[in-house]
Amino acid sequence: MLGLAKGLKYTLKNLTREKPTYEYPHEPLPLPDRFRGIQKFYPEKCIVCNQCANICPTDCIQLTGKKHPDPAKKGKIIDTYDINFEICILCDLCTEVCPTEAIIMTNNFELSEYSRDELFKNLEWLDENDENIRKVNKA
Amino acid sequence: MLRTEEMLLNVGPQHPSTHGVFRLVLKIDGEIIKEAKPVIGYLHRGTEKLAEDLQYTQIIPYTDRMDYVSAMTNNYVLCHAVETMMDIKVPERAEYLRVIAMELGRVASHLVWWGTYLLDLGATSPLLYAFREREMIINLLNELSGARLTFNYMRVGGVKWDAPEGWIEKVAEFIPYMREQLKGYHTLVTGNEIFLNRVKGIGKYTKEEAINFSLSGANLRCTGVKWDLRKNEPYSIYDRFDFDVPVQDGGDAWARYQVRLAEIEESLKILEQACEQFPAEGDILAKVPKIIKAPKGEAFVRIESPRGEIGCYIASDGKKEPYRLKFRRPSFYNLQILPKLLEGESIANLISILGAVDIILGEVDG
Repeated sequence: MLGLAKGLKYTLKNLTREKPTYEYPHEPLPLPDRFRGIQKFYPEKCIVCNQCANICPTDCIQLTGKKHPDPAKKGKIIDTYDINFEICILCDLCTEVCPTEAIIMTNNFELSEYSRDELFKNLEWLDENDENIRKVNKA
Repeated sequence: MLRTEEMLLNVGPQHPSTHGVFRLVLKIDGEIIKEAKPVIGYLHRGTEKLAEDLQYTQIIPYTDRMDYVSAMTNNYVLCHAVETMMDIKVPERAEYLRVIAMELGRVASHLVWWGTYLLDLGATSPLLYAFREREMIINLLNELSGARLTFNYMRVGGVKWDAPEGWIEKVAEFIPYMREQLKGYHTLVTGNEIFLNRVKGIGKYTKEEAINFSLSGANLRCTGVKWDLRKNEPYSIYDRFDFDVPVQDGGDAWARYQVRLAEIEESLKILEQACEQFPAEGDILAKVPKIIKAPKGEAFVRIESPRGEIGCYIASDGKKEPYRLKFRRPSFYNLQILPKLLEGESIANLISILGAVDIILGEVDG
């Protein structure tokens, strides 16, 4: 029975230790800067190069571009940009390949919705998602 | 004389002690198991088939989801295979970062096993202790890679991020703390008479059986076979570190328990040396082409994951996607011996035997 008593002593000693649990969701969870959360999208920075859609392992990014409204300028601007968060795995590859940092990660991770349709996020929603934006995006 | 008759009992796939979605169909006579049939595949996602349509960089997030308790080793085995094919030399700083991340993952993985195994055996509090320390490791890896479980940290030719400022010091601080806690674990559980009665002499097999069933990792080392790929076929920079390979002769659940806890200590030794030798500066990514195309041919590499030998086979026809990708997933192979071990055992021992094998269903089903 000695081993049992020793274990019990250890348990009692730990009874007064500081609690290691988080107060989430009553208090926001502290997360490091590199944390990969829901993306923020800058439509004005996007050059419609399609690299993010091509690198996406789950094919969750759909985008279309249109001609630049100013005829003097070449290239395209973004028209629609949708991410399907039902299948997005937040792997960070889209932000890694983006040449203009038009898509970057934020520290927001709360994605639960009452309806599955609401998990399709469009350009406006991703543009407005501008809190806790990651400061350093590339190594 | 009491009349008994055989009964079919279905354990799982939603049973908490099966560590995921593992199902066992048992033929029992009273409380004694006559025959056990494992049923797997509930978590099959077809990683290997999906990979045939993906570029090498795109496969890395999928490997995170195989052995989700130590995703770093899975990241490494794929990158290592592609690097072997393309003959890429990984920068030294990246190698150190990889080793530190993998060994932290190994400690975290063994902590999960320790906590959940004791939870299976009826001890609730060890899980809380183990997860307290694991949370610290997860936070360290979160700071490094930006995720808590699915790290997606390694890249072909190096790693994605350099260590943040002060991170190596934090890892170095964690090592003595973990050593102290490990002593506490031994006080709490290792000497406990109830626990010893549940594990000693349970699920016993011999050296020959282990080799014939192609077991690896702690499941092999518990029978006295000193085989660890980090020592026997050093990959990465493991030949620079001084550490032992813990071995036990018992071949039972108790031996496996001792091997795993000793492995945590050895991993801490490696971490300590890696933090000391960590190069002050250097590249973290070798010069690799933007679109990775493995040359025509095939390669097979194997490394030591917390559960055993994880291997990766790539057959390439020179395109940016692999022609065929195959993982040798240690949990799947280790599980093979289970029906043999369960024969003639009681239902109460089933939990103890299955837990001691240490399976991760994401890896079993692939």
